[in-house]
Amino acid sequence: MAYFVQLVIFGLLAGGVYVAVGVGFGLVWGVLNIVNLAHGALVITGGYLTWQLFTAFGLDPFLTLPVDAVALFVLGYALQRGVINRIIRAPLLFTFLLTFGVNLVIVNILLMIFGSDSRSVNPAYSGQGLEFGSIVIPYVRLASLAAAILLAAGLAFVLNRTRIGLAIQAISSDRDAAQLVGIDLRHAYAVTYGLGAACAGVAGGLIALIQAVTPTAGEPYTLLAFVVVILGGLGRVSATVVGGLAFGLVEQFAQSIPGSGSVFANAIAFGLMVLVLVTRPQGLMGRLR
Amino acid sequence: MIAAALSARRWRRVFLIFALVVAAYALLAPLTSLDAAQSAGVPLLADKLWFRIATLIAMFIVLATAWNIIGGITGYAAFGNVAFFGIGAYTTGMLIAKAKWPFAAALPLAPVVAALFAALVGLPLLRLRGHYFAVASLGVGVAVGELVQNIDYGGQPVFGGATGLFLPIYAIANRGLFFFYVMVGAAAIAIAVTWWVLRSRFGYGLIAIRENEEAASVLGVNTTAYKVAAFALAAALTGLAGGIFSQWNVFINQDNVFPIEYNVQMILMALLGGTGTVFGPAAGAVLLQLLIQFLGGSLPISLDIPFVSASARPIVAQIILGLLLVLVVIFVPRGVIDFFGGRARLSLAYLRRSLRETSL
Repeated sequence: MAYFVQLVIFGLLAGGVYVAVGVGFGLVWGVLNIVNLAHGALVITGGYLTWQLFTAFGLDPFLTLPVDAVALFVLGYALQRGVINRIIRAPLLFTFLLTFGVNLVIVNILLMIFGSDSRSVNPAYSGQGLEFGSIVIPYVRLASLAAAILLAAGLAFVLNRTRIGLAIQAISSDRDAAQLVGIDLRHAYAVTYGLGAACAGVAGGLIALIQAVTPTAGEPYTLLAFVVVILGGLGRVSATVVGGLAFGLVEQFAQSIPGSGSVFANAIAFGLMVLVLVTRPQGLMGRLR
Repeated sequence: MIAAALSARRWRRVFLIFALVVAAYALLAPLTSLDAAQSAGVPLLADKLWFRIATLIAMFIVLATAWNIIGGITGYAAFGNVAFFGIGAYTTGMLIAKAKWPFAAALPLAPVVAALFAALVGLPLLRLRGHYFAVASLGVGVAVGELVQNIDYGGQPVFGGATGLFLPIYAIANRGLFFFYVMVGAAAIAIAVTWWVLRSRFGYGLIAIRENEEAASVLGVNTTAYKVAAFALAAALTGLAGGIFSQWNVFINQDNVFPIEYNVQMILMALLGGTGTVFGPAAGAVLLQLLIQFLGGSLPISLDIPFVSASARPIVAQIILGLLLVLVVIFVPRGVIDFFGGRARLSLAYLRRSLRETSL
């Protein structure tokens, strides 16, 4: 029983990071209809930023998260305004290839600046945790989960309670009508992508706390974001939160099956994704659109 | 108007002659490396390094042309075709290394197994559309590679595990030359198959699916069967290339037969050349693979990039490739075959029109 509780807790904690990775990706996909293959590169850019601020200025990693968000928002805004807006009406394959190209450029620029050495962020409290009997919950993990939930809540707030957020929702339901009522599409699209990138940056900051940061470390997270978004269902922040936590749980339980282990992580993730796509394409929480 | 048509036809003819000359050179030049030719005093026109690259180019012609059948003609953005390449490679590799089959007997099974696998996963996957199909096929590509590397039976890795699978070296004189022609043969088959598809009832059905799947279905096209057949056909050709690769390269593992980059490269080649055409993907494969080799510094002709140290070159090459990807997608979305085929002229107006068509 204690083992079961432990699996659930660790699944939810791992799920927190997946939520952070998933929300930005889901926003860009849902509104812009772009599967953003550069998402992982943006995530790891946030990771490097956190590492840089932590090692150079001794800033607490959690305090670097807003910096990550702002910096990545600017980068994302510029990227959408300057590049991705140019192909927004092209067939989906082109958006795939374009974002893959962007991914390649970002990853290799990081490689040029930071080299291929792995970097890690270890604040003084990284080894400590809350103890419940035999279960120890690391503070870092707990704070990451809290930060991820806050991030999702913040995004939901922006989307539902601000003018630009409502404009973004209007675009996602009918682009032409949104343009007719006077929404500046180019700006709104760029803000959407910027918000997605900002979420990716925060996710990267959290990831820097739990694993080594290398230029290519973000790539698995692009694939993971897919799975999380599909699992929850496209179109709502809350669905992605459910998807991320559910995926964390599934992963923990799958890895605890004897003879399985972490080597099949991808196979399990994608097996699950294909299963969900085929049997329930709208996701666990989704509505058919 | 007549002048334009004439000039278009002339362009077409010039391009055709040029392509034929290049193809003839590529096919015949390696022959000068034979001992008989060398002792007869024929100048060496292509050394071993050259036709290793040429074999690689032929391999990518197969991959890009095969992808074109499902991605270009049928319009399903398959992102996991590398799975079929790996399955073909491991089928032939396992039969040769473990079951001691001869290469000639093991190779035909590579396309068969790849096609069967494609039909099996295609049935559920091809019900999905758009992004969902692309992502799911990408997932299959990643998952298959991981399974192949990690499946154990009784504590022993079944497919060679993380260390990979070693094949005995194929005992034949002029091995490099032999595999070059085998791969060229596979490329010829892929192009011939595409040519046939585009002229058959089957191909018209696939195009109908691409243009409007519901309408195709109403017109009596059995869309499920057509899509699965196209997927399996693409898989068979891709698997064939994988089978040849395994014996040519002698060593296969997850990294060299399931690389995710290949998925993107084959699509980019098809796009660069022109999707849905017979020769477009092949032309794109030649251009892009030469460019990749050139940027990587593998070609005898190379260029020093100013202000870049030798150690940073591969990184810069990747950045250039990424930027190129972005530029091609934005400015030449219908492929370069437009220019060579005489359908369009490369001009500022053309680039501006491409930009305007897809911009917000």
